[in-house]
Amino acid sequence: MDVIVCVKQIPDPETPAAAFKVDEAAMQVLPAQGISPVISPFDAQAVEAALRIKDASGDGCVNIISLGPDSARDAIKHSLAMGADEGYHLKDDAFEGGDAWTTALALSKAIQHLGVPDVLIFGRQAADWDQGTVGSIVAELLDLPSATVLRAVELNGDRITVSRVVADGFENIELPTPCVLTISNEFGDPRYPQLRQIMQAARKQVTEFTAADLGLDPSEVGAAGARVQMHALYQPTSDVEVEIIEGDTPEEKAAGLVNALREAKIL
Amino acid sequence: MAGVSDVREIIAGDGETGVEITRNVRRWVDEQVIPNATELEHSGEFPARIHADMCEMGIFGITFPESHGGLGLSFETYSAVIEEISRGWMGLAGIINTNVIDGWIIDEHGTQEQKDRFLPGLATGEKQGCFTITEPNAGSDAQAIRTTASRDADDYILNGNKLFVTNGDRGDVYLAMTKTDPSAQPRHRGISAFLVEKDTPGFSVARTIDKLGYKGPETAELFLEDARVPADNLLGGSEGRGFQQMISGLEIGRINVASRATGVAQAAFDAAIVYAQQRETMGQQIAQHQAIQLKLAEMATKIRAARLLTRDAARKKDSGQRSDLDVGMAKLFATEVALECSLESMRVHGGVGYTKELPVERFYRDAPLMAVAEGTNEIQRIVIARRLLELYKVE
Ligand SMILES: Cc1cc2nc3c(=O)[nH]c(=O)nc-3n(C[C@H](O)[C@H](O)[C@H](O)COP(=O)(O)OP(=O)(O)OC[C@H]3O[C@@H](n4cnc5c(N)ncnc54)[C@H](O)[C@@H]3O)c2cc1C
Repeated sequence: MDVIVCVKQIPDPETPAAAFKVDEAAMQVLPAQGISPVISPFDAQAVEAALRIKDASGDGCVNIISLGPDSARDAIKHSLAMGADEGYHLKDDAFEGGDAWTTALALSKAIQHLGVPDVLIFGRQAADWDQGTVGSIVAELLDLPSATVLRAVELNGDRITVSRVVADGFENIELPTPCVLTISNEFGDPRYPQLRQIMQAARKQVTEFTAADLGLDPSEVGAAGARVQMHALYQPTSDVEVEIIEGDTPEEKAAGLVNALREAKIL
Repeated sequence: MAGVSDVREIIAGDGETGVEITRNVRRWVDEQVIPNATELEHSGEFPARIHADMCEMGIFGITFPESHGGLGLSFETYSAVIEEISRGWMGLAGIINTNVIDGWIIDEHGTQEQKDRFLPGLATGEKQGCFTITEPNAGSDAQAIRTTASRDADDYILNGNKLFVTNGDRGDVYLAMTKTDPSAQPRHRGISAFLVEKDTPGFSVARTIDKLGYKGPETAELFLEDARVPADNLLGGSEGRGFQQMISGLEIGRINVASRATGVAQAAFDAAIVYAQQRETMGQQIAQHQAIQLKLAEMATKIRAARLLTRDAARKKDSGQRSDLDVGMAKLFATEVALECSLESMRVHGGVGYTKELPVERFYRDAPLMAVAEGTNEIQRIVIARRLLELYKVE
């Protein structure tokens, strides 16, 4: 079974809060000094899901597409090192400043260009802006059925059985192929790349596509094509006050805590 | 902790590959080793799950030839990886070390049949190799070993005991130094190396030895009582070459130990620079006191020097040139830096650094081993000086 996974490179979510800065005037996140960007953790799980589908089906390819600057190549290489077969990098100054819509548009063109596979997989959301819309927009653009926020994916002949994480539990559904899936953190940890595969990935060529290669006009992508307009970007300040609840026994302290929570109208 | 481990530049060999490999190992260490090391180390248990991860990732095989299941990469990359692993837990590097030493010696000196039989298992880590020279009466003076091997038809009969055998209780194959000619002069001409397999009749593990630190790999004493080893297991097929074979392997072990030491020193420093910004005295972070700043600067400078010296020595080994001087200097310097930094980090932490609640006490217990093992630092200085006197000989 052939799978394409779309992955995004993001600032390391483990970056200490003190190192996280935004340029309010330029409305941009400033890269933290000395901390390399990483593949979005949900996307690494999406690659894991794809590799398991490939293993279970016994044949096929797992290919990776990423839209982003030069450094996005590292997210592709990471996916290749995990065991993916080929990498495609959508790289063009024209893509800069885009939103979920322009990203999904470019990705869908690239997918059509490569041929729509049996399964298309995304992370449930990119762990930087946390919008969680690109996968669904691509499904819409390609007119494919989709299932989002999945904790489990299983092959069932030429159909796919999935388990969705919903507010009050899990929802199990079956989809035909081709289809679009988005993977949630409940899916489980992605594998660590084997050193041999890192070595092979380092030697592998990543194919690059520009907007023109995908038949896209510069006015359709990046800032020019974006449908979302940002009005402000700032770091909210939060004033944390600590109150120590005194008491001689655990019972007294617990009672004090309950009172304090009631006063604060939390209970 | 992306914050601390990520600011350090990676220095490895093999171009982009070495850096990527080291970056991945670093992440694994941050996520899997550091959160578990203290508890496992205190329990004294063998870290089976971490060991399985290391096998799965292929860490044992970095320097093994590709023809025998390895990656065929450089000792420079190996050094970078060992440093990262030891930043998490020094003991893990000891589990890897003896496989890499054995693998290198077998690849250099073994017969084709020995390479085919032993290298693949050692390269994946599925088989545990041990490297055993030391005996109760022979440590620094390795040529004083008393274990004998005497020919009996197609076999050799081995008698003696081996002390301080790292990984000795779980070993599959023991590269053991013996005397085939106890009266040879000079003494090293009588030394021969055997690949002793664990199910050899007459071979037994006498006991494991409790120790201050370096938990993870166990340290064992072995008995060889009329142990019958096939002549096919005589390394390289000829007697009297064991000492040279062993010496060539010690350099590999010393690169490992120098890299470990750099990792332990780095871990001690990382802990210190974080804590120094959390702890306040006299109304400010202790990191703002000049006394603490001097320690941080001193530590970081020495660690960087240790790292560069160690990679430089590894690169020399990779080039195929004689590298005993370079490797000896790296081992000596880096292990002394580890001793200093673990103590300095404890001082920065104050009282809490002395408790078992923080990992600093582990770094402090692990550091001295490295100044003693793979040749004590006294012996290291002697080796360095002798070589210098050769190079600078005045007629
Ligand atoms: C945990 C652990 C694991 C080990 N693992 C292994 C292993 O896997 N395989 C193995 O073969 N060995 C192993 N060893 C042994 C280790 O290599 C020796 O302990 C080391 O070489 C020192 O030998 P020794 O203990 O006999 O000390 P000694 O040789 O008795 O030395 C005692 C002191 O005298 C000094 N000294 C000795 N000779 C001289 C000299 N000529 N000039 C000046 N000073 C001198 C030494 O530096 C030291 O300070 C291990 C040791 C430990 C503690």
